[in-house]
Amino acid sequence: MRREDLAPLLASRILLLDGGMGSLLIADGLTAGQAPEWWVLEHPDRIFRAHRAYAEAGADVIHAVTFGANGPKLEAVGLSDRGDEVNRRAVELAREAAGDDTWIAGDLGPTGKFFPPMGDASEERLEEAYRHQVGVLSEAGVDLISIETMYDVREAIAAVRAAREADLPVLASMTFERRRRGFFTLVGDRVGPSLRALGEAGADAVGFNCSVESEPMVDLVREAAAEVPLPLVAQPNAGQPRATADGVVYDADAPTFVADLIRMVEAGARIVGGCCGTEPSFILAARNALDSLDAA
Amino acid sequence: MTEQAELFDSMCQAVLDGDEATAAELAQRALDGGVSPLQAIDAGYVKGIREAGELWEEGEFFLPELVTAAQAMKAAMDVLQPALGGADAGKPVGKVVIGTVQGDIHDIGKTLVGTLLSANGFEVRDEGADVPVEQFVAAATEMGADLVCASALLTTTMTVQRALVEALGEAGLDCRVMVGGAPVTAGWAEEIGAAGFADSAVGAVERARRLMDAP
Repeated sequence: MRREDLAPLLASRILLLDGGMGSLLIADGLTAGQAPEWWVLEHPDRIFRAHRAYAEAGADVIHAVTFGANGPKLEAVGLSDRGDEVNRRAVELAREAAGDDTWIAGDLGPTGKFFPPMGDASEERLEEAYRHQVGVLSEAGVDLISIETMYDVREAIAAVRAAREADLPVLASMTFERRRRGFFTLVGDRVGPSLRALGEAGADAVGFNCSVESEPMVDLVREAAAEVPLPLVAQPNAGQPRATADGVVYDADAPTFVADLIRMVEAGARIVGGCCGTEPSFILAARNALDSLDAA
Repeated sequence: MTEQAELFDSMCQAVLDGDEATAAELAQRALDGGVSPLQAIDAGYVKGIREAGELWEEGEFFLPELVTAAQAMKAAMDVLQPALGGADAGKPVGKVVIGTVQGDIHDIGKTLVGTLLSANGFEVRDEGADVPVEQFVAAATEMGADLVCASALLTTTMTVQRALVEALGEAGLDCRVMVGGAPVTAGWAEEIGAAGFADSAVGAVERARRLMDAP
């Protein structure tokens, strides 16, 4: 997909992204101490299976497992010297599983580094790390770049600037929490100014993923629709994770999730999908709901 | 307001402003003026860091404000600590080993809890992130820890908290475990036999204080 193809596409239809990868991999045996990026190399069949399930559920876009495949994160999980290989292989797996009719997104997640006073990160260093990853992803043939789970707008801007160097559509999602005076990121960024800044840095669509469950995300989309002149992305969790004796469960079911997703579309979201705890059944239900919306 | 009350207020404010230089300068002024360092800590700086914690809970403060407040507190403590003479005067409220469990590199929550515990008079040994169970046990043994705080931010790594509780029990250590992290609940803490759980950094300090008071 070229960058200029996104706007006409979104004018005619809602784009459906895939859902969470973590819970599927955990169900398939991912355990403590293993980064999903390691599985790209060690258990490609399981990654393939998860992608295939989302493609079959009707997702238009599949995220390659590259969320943690930026320099600083790779170093933290002991994959520094195989970073390019992880990114390339992750894209191949997504492409093989989803075929040529599904778009593949190169996924950029946080580096885990903080700006002062919390840490010693700098915009230049983070942008450089992302630029390297985007170069590999772009060469590997991704159709778009999807930036996710950003909690500091400065890091998100660094990722957008790096992504902008490829002639691909760039989606940028941040994660906000509801505080007493409204929605904020961990470091205190507000919704409207943050998303507008991402647009100015070159993002083609901006919005939200993770952190909040689907219901509060409807409010987030409404707030952004009034303040941000760009197509909006919304990828909520399936409720909140809760630890139980049998492992971790997410408390929202697919019908609740999809009902909220449709409310987000009505509030102005043009790109929707799922984050933590969502499974192919959620995306299938969303596909059906979106199709009947189109037919109506 | 007396001169001393004004000084304590300024100390509290310096912490809230995250102003390291002023916090340290006021600490020195207190020592020079013969003010008890313990009183300065208690009525000035600790009050400030508590208020900062409350402002965080209320959504008025965010991570940068909380971190700079803790840094200002620490700058003052560096000045006051050497002046805390006597056997009991400098004695910590409790000894704590803290870390994020193996396989998990999330640092923020754990560091925040460690910083606030330290600011509230605990002696804190921060083992960092991705800490193997054996390292927790070794650190707790070496320090003679009262509490071991283990953070897990991933649904894949929280099971390590269970292994930690078991390992500390097997090592026969007389310390209690507190667990935290996004997916962790009171039910989980109970399930794995941890003594304490908190869903916020300020809550963790309260919980740690209560555990120290409990027999």
